Amino acid sequence: GPCRVSMSMTEIRSGFTAIKANIQARDPIRTLSILSYPHSLHKVKSSDRCCIAHHLSNFYVDKVFKHCKTEDSYVNRKISSIANSFLSVKRTLAQCHEQNKCMCGQESTEKFKQILANYEGLDVTSAAIKSLGELDILLDWMEKST
Amino acid sequence: IVPFSFSFSGELYCSLPNPRNVHFESINMKNVLHWSAPEGTGDGVLYKVKYSVYGVGKWIRKPECRNINRTWCDLSIETSDYEEQYYASVKAFLDGMCSDWMETTRFNPLTDTKIGPPALSVSSTEKSISIILTAPEKWKGSPEGESMSLLQVYPGLQYNVSVLNKKTKKRWFFSISNNTLVVPWLEPGTAYCVSAQIYVTTPLLHSGFSEEHCIATLKDK
Repeated sequence: GPCRVSMSMTEIRSGFTAIKANIQARDPIRTLSILSYPHSLHKVKSSDRCCIAHHLSNFYVDKVFKHCKTEDSYVNRKISSIANSFLSVKRTLAQCHEQNKCMCGQESTEKFKQILANYEGLDVTSAAIKSLGELDILLDWMEKST
Repeated sequence: IVPFSFSFSGELYCSLPNPRNVHFESINMKNVLHWSAPEGTGDGVLYKVKYSVYGVGKWIRKPECRNINRTWCDLSIETSDYEEQYYASVKAFLDGMCSDWMETTRFNPLTDTKIGPPALSVSSTEKSISIILTAPEKWKGSPEGESMSLLQVYPGLQYNVSVLNKKTKKRWFFSISNNTLVVPWLEPGTAYCVSAQIYVTTPLLHSGFSEEHCIATLKDK
């Protein structure tokens, strides 16, 4: 869309790949997905993608990374480097939003409300770890959308 | 020695050692579940398999992999939607005893598959070689099924091409996004060998190099 985010997907991908098994193993709940329930991100209309990406970058920075402390310093370092990459995304998309280039339709608002409801349905730590474990779902969707 | 125990209610008592190393092996999204037999058990162990879509509540049994004695089960059809992620699980049975269900890690077909090398078609003139590359197809359930190139799955797919002058042993590497390459300014009447690999930047995936295709440039007229 009008707001292209020069985000180092490769860096985030490799950071996440390094800790994916560790993080996902900490999430025992198979029956619920934060991002994909009840509908996959891939079902979002193209016109709503920018707004969803904007909301999700805020969501990960404000509600996920800060609640994902583990006892493993290697994992913690990877999480903070991923978080830093997301900060630049958050800033870029925030500017787009302010310049009205990142319109939020009703569908994206509904979709993001559902994501928040899925998140708030769990305790904070479980919800944050599950969201982090679903980062590849977000990355797959963002790459497909670019 | 395998522990033998049986509860009074006639219910199977799951004290059999567990299947080990339960994992998906995936090539071009042909997704096959593999495992190793429980430790210390000889022949006669049978298995059953179930799978689930991440985020969806229920486990689904795989009838074709019920009471099997092999240690693999093809779940390609069940995991063909690469926008979803999956878990699979295996249980072992022997002499009235059973093991626990043993699960895979979360399987993401898009990032966890291995990509096969591209197919090559090579032709030559006096001073150039033309190479046409074809990415493998995503696995499909039947020959009549709709074909889908991995190029559609991974829009950022690129090719790394290697060209070797068999006489001088000089080698060139090219990285291209489209599927054709013409290598100019070559020596007439000389043998060149070409091989190629697929490279996806994100998610980070790459195939092995294909077999070499050797061809000679035409002789000077």
